Amino acid sequence: MAVKHTTAIDAETLAGRRFEYQEDISLVEDLDLMELTPGRDLNWLEDIHLLEEDGTPAVFDRYSNSFLKIYFDIPEGREDELARKVLMKHLISGNSYGIQLKEKHCKFHQVELGPWVADSKSVGDNWRPPTLEGWEPPAH
Amino acid sequence: MAGLSTKSGVVYDARGLVEPDPEPPMTAEIDGDRAVIDATDLTTRKINLELKRIVYDEGVNEVTIVNPGSKHSLGVGILKRCRLTFEGSPGWYACGLIDGPEVQINGRVGWSLAENMMSGSIVVDGPAGSLTGAALRGGDLVIKGNVGARTGIDQKGGTIITLGSAGINTGFMMQRGRQIICGDANDGLGDSMYDGAIYVGGKIASLGVDCVPAEMTDDDHEFINRKFDIYDLGTPPDVQKFECGKVLHNYDALEPSERKLVL
Repeated sequence: MAVKHTTAIDAETLAGRRFEYQEDISLVEDLDLMELTPGRDLNWLEDIHLLEEDGTPAVFDRYSNSFLKIYFDIPEGREDELARKVLMKHLISGNSYGIQLKEKHCKFHQVELGPWVADSKSVGDNWRPPTLEGWEPPAH
Repeated sequence: MAGLSTKSGVVYDARGLVEPDPEPPMTAEIDGDRAVIDATDLTTRKINLELKRIVYDEGVNEVTIVNPGSKHSLGVGILKRCRLTFEGSPGWYACGLIDGPEVQINGRVGWSLAENMMSGSIVVDGPAGSLTGAALRGGDLVIKGNVGARTGIDQKGGTIITLGSAGINTGFMMQRGRQIICGDANDGLGDSMYDGAIYVGGKIASLGVDCVPAEMTDDDHEFINRKFDIYDLGTPPDVQKFECGKVLHNYDALEPSERKLVL
């Protein structure tokens, strides 16, 4: 079978699966974006807009440097709002690949999820340098 | 984490820390969801360890750090919604890499305040040094005094508001985001910028390469008025808008992997 080469890295490739909220608008409609962001406006979400990746509407997840594609029909005039809601659903669900790497690779004490979840557990307290199984340091 | 011993007997910390004592000092005075840290006799790392301990593990939401003594790299890497207040002046690299906190600094700050800030807000009552908001990714940065050279260098998002004047090469290689400078801007404003918008209320010594005047829109006015209202900054001045002329750099020339770095 021919290997498909691509320069694109999207969230579902990293996760190995597609998420329900990429396909079902009802799963993100109830999110309160103001509640999920610091201050009295959308703060960092002001910079999040609906983009396109591989010809599909997508939102960029800066925590995993990947695009999260959106497959449901987006009503006209709500492009940025729904892009932001899909992204926040992805982040608060802990599905962002960058967040999944924290448990194993964090070197410093920090919360696992970001500021969008109030009581996230701490990670990074017991980091050990990774070692290859069976590897021994050279004698000299 | 304990230090690692090498064959030669030298003990080091694989994470590269110069002060490999990982224990927080436990000196904060905690009262419910508020706490005060007196930084007088603490090193930078001890201050940051104590701050993370009380914010992450003790459920404290409002922290006041007194006597910061211009120590460098204070309040870095806080990834949680909380309120931090510095009573006094932190030094270089204050509040870098934060994601969520709302910070009030009742003093002045040195170089590279809020470097790589992801979200939240920082309000400084006084001036700030060079490289303020370097590589800012998101959130609001409000400086009530002047700022130094290259403010917002490599800015990739967020908003920087300066009530005073800005130094040379402000907005250098800016890629996204917005800056509002109420005072004057020195030479090379917006030099080599890719995108974003810079609004200036005062005089401009000179524009940088490929930084060009732009028309103000209703969205621009709404944005400026909203930010001034949120941070109680009074009536905004009349401003000129500047943006990238798209001659020197443009996104179409970037490889996909490069494009992602500026999103």
